[in-house]
Amino acid sequence: MAKSKDAKVAVQTKTTWKNALKRDWQLYLLLLFPLAMVFIFNYAAYPGMRLVFMDYKPAKGYAGSEWVGWATFAKVFKDADFVRALKSSIVFNLLDLIVGFPMPIILALMLNELRYQKFKKVTQTILYLPHFLSWVIIGSVAYTMFRPETGLVNIAMMNAGIIEKGIPFLTEKYHWAVTYLLVGVWQGMGWGTIIYLAAITGISGELYEAAMIDGANRWKRMWHITLPGIKSTVVTLLIMNLGRVMGSNLERLREFGNTQVRDFQYQLAIYIYDKGLQNGRYSMSTAVNLFQSVVGLVLVLLADKVAKKLGEDGLL
Amino acid sequence: MKKNYLQKVLAVALAGTMAMGTLTGCGSEPASNSSEGSTGSESTEQSSAEESSSEESSSEENSSEEAGGEENSGTDAGTAGIDGYTAFAENVTLKIPVYDRGQEGVPAIGTGDNVWEGWIQENFGDKYNITVEFVPITRTAVLESYNLLAADQNLPTILMEYDYPKLAQWVADGMLTTYDMEQFKQIAPTYYQRMVDLDQIKYTTMNDETYFVLAERPYYNTNYTFMTWYRMDWLEEVGYDHVPATREEYLDAMKKIQDAGLAAHPGGGAMTTGTAGVDQNYAFREYPTNEEEWAMYGDYAIPSLGWEPNKRLLKEQNENYNLGITNPEYYTIDAETAKANFINGETYQYSDYIAADIAWLTSFYQTNPDAHLVVGVQSLEADTAYGTVPAFRSNNPFGMMIGFSSQAAEDEIKAAMMYMEWMTQEENLFVMQWGYENDNFTYNDSNLPESVGDYAGDNKQGFSNNKDYWCVTIEARNAGTIEDMIKAASPKGLPEDFTDDIIQNYYNQVQAWEKGWVPTDCMFATELPSVAEYQGTLLTLYAELRDQLVMCDPEEFDAKYEEAAQRYADAGYEAVTQERLQAYQDGLSSRQE
Repeated sequence: MAKSKDAKVAVQTKTTWKNALKRDWQLYLLLLFPLAMVFIFNYAAYPGMRLVFMDYKPAKGYAGSEWVGWATFAKVFKDADFVRALKSSIVFNLLDLIVGFPMPIILALMLNELRYQKFKKVTQTILYLPHFLSWVIIGSVAYTMFRPETGLVNIAMMNAGIIEKGIPFLTEKYHWAVTYLLVGVWQGMGWGTIIYLAAITGISGELYEAAMIDGANRWKRMWHITLPGIKSTVVTLLIMNLGRVMGSNLERLREFGNTQVRDFQYQLAIYIYDKGLQNGRYSMSTAVNLFQSVVGLVLVLLADKVAKKLGEDGLL
Repeated sequence: MKKNYLQKVLAVALAGTMAMGTLTGCGSEPASNSSEGSTGSESTEQSSAEESSSEESSSEENSSEEAGGEENSGTDAGTAGIDGYTAFAENVTLKIPVYDRGQEGVPAIGTGDNVWEGWIQENFGDKYNITVEFVPITRTAVLESYNLLAADQNLPTILMEYDYPKLAQWVADGMLTTYDMEQFKQIAPTYYQRMVDLDQIKYTTMNDETYFVLAERPYYNTNYTFMTWYRMDWLEEVGYDHVPATREEYLDAMKKIQDAGLAAHPGGGAMTTGTAGVDQNYAFREYPTNEEEWAMYGDYAIPSLGWEPNKRLLKEQNENYNLGITNPEYYTIDAETAKANFINGETYQYSDYIAADIAWLTSFYQTNPDAHLVVGVQSLEADTAYGTVPAFRSNNPFGMMIGFSSQAAEDEIKAAMMYMEWMTQEENLFVMQWGYENDNFTYNDSNLPESVGDYAGDNKQGFSNNKDYWCVTIEARNAGTIEDMIKAASPKGLPEDFTDDIIQNYYNQVQAWEKGWVPTDCMFATELPSVAEYQGTLLTLYAELRDQLVMCDPEEFDAKYEEAAQRYADAGYEAVTQERLQAYQDGLSSRQE
């Protein structure tokens, strides 16, 4: 009896595919379709990317379109509009990162300190809600609130005698930049706290108890226990966010845009859509998108390497 | 054991659900009802719910019976036209594009439960063993829609658009195939003869090859379905008994309206959206216009920043802006808000297509019960002091431009030609345009059909009386004279009637055309690669630059205009105008009428 038990233990430590499938086939079955989906939509499309080296015409297909090598990239990189869009994209994404990245951390720390559970839950829910609003709605509400003459905020401030002339929140490019960034923070910060709150719950309560016994106040506990406790999560998310420095959100830009802020609003997503997709120039839009992805990947790898050198776990 | 079984069932069910979810998108059925709102759609389309049209389109009945036809082909050898049609031996699939305008309350396109599509299948498709499929094309993204279908090797059998440059691009992109005009003449003699009668054959070629078939556009040289309404009560209050006819009068009236506190910014305004047709400068041109300049700059597809008439137009806009006539926030105001501003009594004028039932006019009178509106009647006097003429753009002398897909088989193209001829037949066209008696229309005292505007039953027609189906042959409905058509289409059920003025406006527009003030844009019989390359960029850039010019200090206007024009030229406009000039000099373009 004892012998057979030992034998069973030995088998379990060296699970074979066959045994694993037999034991957990339901789970593997569930996994199969998401895996297939990822494969089909994320990898199977890769061969199609050869169209960046062609003057791709949809009606002619891959076989009939002319092979142009790197010409599309050369053309894109020489395009003044691309350079303008690239600059704005990098600047705004970095600003988004600087302004937007710390906010969920701060918010999570604050939420974590709330002791009255009902208030905490209601606050959390209210903070999550903007994440579920589409940019079309947010953009429309923003214009209703922030127009220089007829915006509610300006009218209220003018009536209160705080300002004499409406502030061009969305109609002058520097004001627009601030409004655009802050609305972005407002929309995403609540949702961003979820991961940090989850990480905080993983910190052992004993650490806090010990610190309290040693006389650490709330601020010190936060600084010396909570923050170090979520450091690896922060680093991981930072690396992932760096990968998005070249990206941009078409809906957000379009809904907030107007001709007076074009200098800042003209970012890569707009460039790809206006110049590429709308005109059927798929080679061009794919080339820019590929460029964005490659730069994003390089940034992630670099950041990962730096993080590891600094003694962090990194992402990969 | 029971629990284990339950787990298995759940796992299989969940996996099945996911599989279904994953594979849902893999179907081949075309998506219906996509699309956003239909504002800002470019093109030269005539769009009115109750459009009118001429006494008779052209359709001379069936035509000659001569030789022709091929075996196993849906056409009988020896008989031209519809009388010679026979059923295909093997079923042919014909795919017809239909604009999806994202409108609510109209039958869905291509879903199989559209009464009118069913009617076409029953009366045309079933008769000739043709399966007619209707493919929705998003109105606000025509090129994108066709490109996606092309990439999927699933183009409709015919491709249609109102704008010449789009067709030229399709030729350049290999989406269209040439066709044999003799074959078309054989299969669609009514349609062909109409093209001959309307002198449209010259527009059928590109690069010396025959590509296009052209639908009819009655009264193409007038814009009688598009009117502007003015606040006459405001004008009367400030001492005017007519709509200002000159620039001087306009500025005076606006100032008085502002001073009287009737409106802070009576001119209103709305953002330019980067589409073709913005800032049309026909009123600021010299007539007759230098033909080379007309060919280079005179078209509607790309705004002509850098050309004198455009400069004068923007200078006027700049003056309006700086005098506060234009709303200082206009560039953040979309088309719907601009409409709401007029309804709310904040602006002096608003323009739209006429229809028997105009919802915004009804709302306007509910909001402003004492208001008095008039429609603007085409002026026939030039404003000599200011240097403008009451000119406007003539439409193309044709409606839809139609090409045949390069992905279509020979039989499919033949079926498409049969379809176009069939739709041109008066009895078929009448049902598609007017619908069923009592449901969709009734006969009035003059025995002319009149649409039932509020019909909402199962037989409801598609957008604008099914126009997106019958536009394959003609651009407006036929019933009686032009006056009958205007009477049927003019707004009804309102405290004021505009019919007489709309009729007068039509006659004045005809006179303006006779005076040479209604030019047709230049059309090129060769590809212009620079247009395809730069049009998108230029339209977007123009929206940005023109707003800067409109809002700048008047003293800085000239310098800023030069700067903007240079930037615009460098962004591709120079290449476009030079290429156009070359094509014009090579004799590959139309000439001024």
